[in-house]
Amino acid sequence: MRDMDEAREILYVIRSLEILMTSGIGLEAAIHSIGQGGYGIVTDDFALIMANVGKGQSMEDELRRTISEAKYAGYKKMLNTLLNNIISDTNIIDTLKTQGGREEEIRNDKVEKYIEDLAGMPESLLTFGMLGPIILSLVGLFPQLMGDAGAAVGMSMEQGMVDSVVAGGLFITLAGMVLVGLKAHFKDPGL
Amino acid sequence: MISEMLGLWILDYWGVGWANWFLIFGIAGVGGGIPPMIERRRRRIIENALPGMLASLSDSIGSGQGMQQAMQGIVSTQDDLIANLLEQALDESHSSTFDAGLARFAVMTRSEQVQRVIAIMGTAIEQDAPLQEILYKLSRDYERLNDLMNRREVDLSGRSLLIMMFICVGLPLLIAFLVGLFAPWSNGFQLGFLNNTFALFFCAVSMYSVAVSGRMLGRLRDVLWFLPIWGFIGTYLYIVPYHLIGG
Repeated sequence: MRDMDEAREILYVIRSLEILMTSGIGLEAAIHSIGQGGYGIVTDDFALIMANVGKGQSMEDELRRTISEAKYAGYKKMLNTLLNNIISDTNIIDTLKTQGGREEEIRNDKVEKYIEDLAGMPESLLTFGMLGPIILSLVGLFPQLMGDAGAAVGMSMEQGMVDSVVAGGLFITLAGMVLVGLKAHFKDPGL
Repeated sequence: MISEMLGLWILDYWGVGWANWFLIFGIAGVGGGIPPMIERRRRRIIENALPGMLASLSDSIGSGQGMQQAMQGIVSTQDDLIANLLEQALDESHSSTFDAGLARFAVMTRSEQVQRVIAIMGTAIEQDAPLQEILYKLSRDYERLNDLMNRREVDLSGRSLLIMMFICVGLPLLIAFLVGLFAPWSNGFQLGFLNNTFALFFCAVSMYSVAVSGRMLGRLRDVLWFLPIWGFIGTYLYIVPYHLIGG
C-alpha cells in the first residue's frame, strides 16, 4: 500500500519542489512546505523529517532513514537527489526537472495502459457471470428435467448433492468475477 | 399497494424476503449517495477552472500587478464558481489578512488541487519568489493533470456503464428467462433452493460490479452508497421475471 501511496503523490511533490526551488526557496524551506500538508504519505514523511531535525537530528541522517523506509523507486530516487544536494551541492533543479519529466511519462503510460487493460473487462465479467449460472442452472434442473430418464441411463443424482454443486459453482463464479474485477483496483494509475 | 404494484410480494413468495432489506437500505443509500455526487461535480468544475485562473494570475502579475490586484481582476472578469468563491474569500479577507483569505478560499473549494496550489503560493509569497513563473508552471502542470483525469473519465465511463448494464440488468434477466422457460414453476418444478441461491448470487455480483465500475472511474467511496439498491435490483430482476415467465 505504501508503494501505491508514494507513487500517487511523487509527481506532485517533485513538481512542487522544482517550482519552489527554481524560485530561490531553499531545500529545507521546500521540505517544510511539503510537510505542511496536501501530499499524503510524503507529507507525513517530510513532517517527520522536519520534526526530527527540529529535535537536533541532521537532515542527512533523516533523509537516509526515509530512503530506507521508502518503497517506490521514483520516491527513493527523489530522496537521493535531495540527499546528494546536501552532501555535494549538486544541481538539484535540473535533476528534479528530469525526474519530474520521467514520472510524468510513467503516469501518462499508466493511464493509457489502465484504459487499455480495462477495455475488455465488461465482456470478461459478463462471460464469467453468464457461463457459470447457465451451466449451473442446467445442473440444478437436471434431476427434475430428466426425472426417471436420468436413472435409466445411469445419471441419477441426489437433489442435495445437486444443490451443493450449484451453490459451490456459483461461489466459484463469484470468486472468478472478483479476480477479474480486482484489476480495476490494483492497476489504478492513482490520479 | 405499492408493494403489490411492484410485485414485491413475489420476493416473499419465493423466500427471498431478505431482499426487501436491501430495498430499504438502498433507498436510504440513494439519499446518502447523491450529495457526494453533487460535491464531486462541483469540485471537478473548480479543478477544471483552476489552470485558467492560474494562467490569468500569471499574466496579470507579469504585467506588473500585485497578487491581490490580480485576484480582484479575476473576480471582476470571470463569472464562474471558482471566481465566486474567490470573491467571497477576498471579501472576508478585508476583515483579516490576505493570507487568511487565501487559506479560506482553499478550504471553501474543498479541493486538494486548489489546497496544494494555495500552499505553494503561500510559500512563494512568504519567500518573495517570482510568482509569475511559479503560477505559469502550476497552470501547465494542473492543466495536464486535469486533461488526464478528464480523459480517464470519458474513456472509462462508457465501459463502467456497460458493466453495470451487463451484470446488474442483463445477466439476471437472461438467466430468469432461461430458467423460467425450461423449468416453469406453474408446471410443478421445485425451484425454491435454486432461486434462493441464484437471487443471492445476483445480489452479490450486482453489488460487486457496481463497486468495480466506481473503482474504474476512481470514485469507489461515492458508489458505496448505491450498492444496496443495485443488490436489490439484481435480485428483483431475477425473481420477478422468473415468476412472470414461468407462470
